[in-house]
Amino acid sequence: MNYKLKKFEKGEREMKFRTAWKSIKPLLRDEKYSLYFALIAIVINSAVNLLAPFIIARTIDTYIAHKDIHGVLMLSILLAFIYLFGLVAGYLQVKIMGGVGRRVLFKLRNSIFTKLQELPVAFFNQNQAGDLISRINNDTDKLNQFFSQALVQFVGNAFLMLGAGIFILSLNIKLGFASLLPAVIVIIITQLISAWIKRTSVKSLQSLGGMSGEIQESLQNFKVIVAFNRLDYFRKKFNIVNQENYKASVKAGVASNILNPIYGIASNIAQIVVLGYGIILIASGNLTVGLLVGFLLYTNNFYTPLRQLASIWASLQLALASLDRISEVLSLESDIKVIEEEKTIKNGGILTFKKVSFKYTDSKEIFHDVSFTLESGKTYALVGPTGGGKTTTASLMARLFDPTSGMIYLDGKDICSVSLAERTKKIGFILQEPFLFTGTVRENILYGNEEYQSYTSEQLLDLLKKEELDSLLSRFEKGLDTLVGRGDAISLGQKQLIAFMRAVLRKPQLLILDEATANIDTVTEQLLEEILLKLPKETTKVIIAHRLNTIQNADDIFFVNAGKVTDAGSFDEAIKMLMNGKRTS
Amino acid sequence: MENKRVKKSNPNLFSLLKPYKGLIFMLVLLTILANGLNLAVPKIISSAIDTYSLGNFVLTKVVMTFSIVAILIFIFTYLQNIVQIYAAERVARDLRTRLAAKISEQDHTFIDRVTPSKLLTNLTSDVDAVKSFVSQAIANIISSVFLIIGASVLLILTNWRLALAVLVVVPIIGFTFFIVLRKVRKLFTRSQEAIDWLNKVINESILGSALIRLVNSQQYEYQKFLDANTEAKTISLSILNLFASLVPLVTFLTNLATLLILMLGGHFVITGTMTLGGFMAFNSYLAILIFPILIISFMSNVIAQAAASYGRIEEVLYAEEKKDNGTIVSELSGNVALSDVTLELGEKAILKDISFEAKKNTRTAIIGPTAAGKTQLLYILTGLVVPTSGEVLFDEKNINEYKKEKLHEQIGFVFQDSILFNLTLRENIAFSNTVGDEDLKKAISTAELQDFIQELPEGLDTVVSERGTSLSGGQKQRVMLARALALNPKVLLLDDFTARVDNRTEKKILENVTANYPGITLISVTQKISSVEHYDQIILLMEGEIIAKGTHSEMLECPEYMQIYNSQESTEQYELQA
Repeated sequence: MNYKLKKFEKGEREMKFRTAWKSIKPLLRDEKYSLYFALIAIVINSAVNLLAPFIIARTIDTYIAHKDIHGVLMLSILLAFIYLFGLVAGYLQVKIMGGVGRRVLFKLRNSIFTKLQELPVAFFNQNQAGDLISRINNDTDKLNQFFSQALVQFVGNAFLMLGAGIFILSLNIKLGFASLLPAVIVIIITQLISAWIKRTSVKSLQSLGGMSGEIQESLQNFKVIVAFNRLDYFRKKFNIVNQENYKASVKAGVASNILNPIYGIASNIAQIVVLGYGIILIASGNLTVGLLVGFLLYTNNFYTPLRQLASIWASLQLALASLDRISEVLSLESDIKVIEEEKTIKNGGILTFKKVSFKYTDSKEIFHDVSFTLESGKTYALVGPTGGGKTTTASLMARLFDPTSGMIYLDGKDICSVSLAERTKKIGFILQEPFLFTGTVRENILYGNEEYQSYTSEQLLDLLKKEELDSLLSRFEKGLDTLVGRGDAISLGQKQLIAFMRAVLRKPQLLILDEATANIDTVTEQLLEEILLKLPKETTKVIIAHRLNTIQNADDIFFVNAGKVTDAGSFDEAIKMLMNGKRTS
Repeated sequence: MENKRVKKSNPNLFSLLKPYKGLIFMLVLLTILANGLNLAVPKIISSAIDTYSLGNFVLTKVVMTFSIVAILIFIFTYLQNIVQIYAAERVARDLRTRLAAKISEQDHTFIDRVTPSKLLTNLTSDVDAVKSFVSQAIANIISSVFLIIGASVLLILTNWRLALAVLVVVPIIGFTFFIVLRKVRKLFTRSQEAIDWLNKVINESILGSALIRLVNSQQYEYQKFLDANTEAKTISLSILNLFASLVPLVTFLTNLATLLILMLGGHFVITGTMTLGGFMAFNSYLAILIFPILIISFMSNVIAQAAASYGRIEEVLYAEEKKDNGTIVSELSGNVALSDVTLELGEKAILKDISFEAKKNTRTAIIGPTAAGKTQLLYILTGLVVPTSGEVLFDEKNINEYKKEKLHEQIGFVFQDSILFNLTLRENIAFSNTVGDEDLKKAISTAELQDFIQELPEGLDTVVSERGTSLSGGQKQRVMLARALALNPKVLLLDDFTARVDNRTEKKILENVTANYPGITLISVTQKISSVEHYDQIILLMEGEIIAKGTHSEMLECPEYMQIYNSQESTEQYELQA
């Protein structure tokens, strides 16, 4: 299945007001009450802003002009109260809407991360880590900013604008329409160029994601860059993505800022129209000078919030662009699903492959019609040349991938119908490249192991002793508390030891070791072999190794190459097959 | 006035803008022009109405003037926007370039210590905060400061007593800003640290994705993420709390100033010490004073965040520089020696008093148990790690006397862990810029990659997926070998190269190396004695110390060596066949 996230947006649909709202709405589902409260606060705040100048004007006109100090005092007290209201409403408005923004951010981040956890390994092999990080951290924050900052202004300004608009029309319908005409035109223009604004925003976010991917990869692999003297190359590659990001951001900035001057000129044109048309109307006796002056003021009151709305609209485009990139991840579905229907087979051993074929996306077929059965309690070895498909076989066993066709049965049940918990409990897989999380040895060997999580250090040491794993622990300076995961103080061999302990402690029924001891010295390796021998009798082991001594005790050996898994029978036979160079890759 | 205060708490944010003086000047000029012309509009209208009332009104003339002004406003606003974006993006780009340049001067222990997750935040989110500062705050702050000063002067000239009453409010507001911004800066720093944390959790969940799915720990990972995300939310809500009170509080304070003027001014007018006209004028100047104060309070959020982020960026920008004092650029002949090298990490001695020599055209194997310090030893030889004491010598000269890049060009290093880039195979192998086509071809055939590459539909132009996930373990290992060989190195360091390659291929490859790269000094860390029996020198390393060194037959007298040898003997016959 293809999990590759899109790099470039094609066939952009036109952004309409309604479709925009439709995309935003689901995010606000749980925020209904907050939004109502915020709305009230915003209305009060707007009312304060409208009322205060009015009261001041009145104080001056009626009381100060008539030298009535008592009246001045009275209205001042009233004004003080109104300002207090404004203080409270202003506080609530920012706080509530800011809260909405942060919660949307919080929830979105959580849901993307949850989605990432649901997606199979193939997804991570096809996408850049840095880009995913950027989607979780940066794109979600753009939405937060929109909700916390822009949306507050949106409501307040929309009120002001609507009020002024209605007032204009009711004053004089003809002049009113004339003065609103430029607004209609720019709104149409806005609709037309919104898609362009959004497209540039998407590109700029994409370039940010790409840059983040580049940085992530370079920093993660920094020692190779240093050792191969490619710091210049790091700079050069970085400069390319940096320059790309610069260009895309400038384009996006130019696009989203074009609305501001356009709305400015619309406002001025409206005033010219009103002035000109108004004077004609006055000449024909249909308007008075006083009304015209008032009209001009209201036109201004209409266009000032409209300009604000325009800049909010631009930031909405950015928010929508972010939402697109987020939704792209959220809409992916894992094809590794647990299905209801149970197909079972008898005498299937612990694991059975039946006519399994497999190919990775965009690759040739790796396996064709492979069938075999692993019996409980036996030890199997997979041998074959590099690139022959051993790791792929093991990955199919653990259901990291699903076969393209054919069936795999775990304990007689279709592996697709085995629940995640059951499957992961039954199968232990020590990966070719062990991964450690930043933390202590303890945290890493108990990773994903609920059973011993609450053990004290003493209990855990006892347990390790019982499993004879304690001698391995002595390879770590501070035992269980040794810090691992970051940097290079821990060697690959040590990582393999931790992965080994981690897997053994989980007591799986089927334990797969994919070159799990390749970087461990042979003396320690013998120790590991002894530990493996002491695992419960019914544990089935699948060992992949190049070092032949690790596989010579296997009950059965499979030769994996050229799309086939062949039962090689004896050890000597397997060696012969290896020697004969049965390889196509 | 406001400007000074901001400057005091973070002097460097403004110094960052020095190289962009011209742009910033243009930006401020355009802002003032656009805003100034906007003020002319009401004038035009009122004079139009006045002239109309007087009867000598010419409609076309008014419309013409008005249209010209409108177009000018349009042009100035548009230009202002463009200059603003251009300036902001340039500042961001250049800051990133400087950061990347600085990072590229550091050694890899620096990256380890600072952590990639923090550097990623520095280069993205932190730079973005600075960018917002330039694009949103600069023009506003500078023009606000002008307005505040101008309005203050006008106020004082109109009525100094009233003016003093008003200007009392300004320091109070300034003080409020100071307190809040100081508090919030710490919070913003913590909030960026929460982003570092998120980066780390997400990144580890991606790198460990297979493991997570194998042990069914998705829920646990989610919990880790939730912790980081909750921390981010909590901090950002505290920040919100501060700003939710700051902006209304500043508004309230300025409103109080208006109220004060209304009462005091009203009193003056009523008692006759001030004319009504003078009072009206004072009031309109007051409005000019208050507006920029509010603007600055709206911008305080952006300023504080930028200050915090820039503080984090500076930590990297002004980190101690690793100077390369080396001058030698001559070709190596290939003699390598360590003399009394000790390496300590923390309290732990990883390597103790290591001394050995590897002459040119010889092969040296280093064997020893896991965690003996073998990999660190190779890192010291490449200069990736600097020993605590002792000397690394190439051709009898200290490693520090060599120019680093010249040295790296002549040492091929095959890392133990697979590190490949999301590039084409060609770019991965010809990773250094000194690699020519011939070198590439030779490296590929030496690493036995020709068959594999030929089978790929796109051959050398096949793109390797990030972390090399599209290749098998052995393929990765061989690509990494080819990458090292493509340098035409004088010294080849192999870190457990044979671990993931089958015996047949391994043997062939090593034969190829000897044939195609004559005279090369080979130092190979390995577990397999059978492949190195005929080497010129075998060094046994245990717990950071050299236990024994010598040829295979000499080493057989060492009991620890014998133990390792015996552990492998059982399959010796097959290894030999292979």
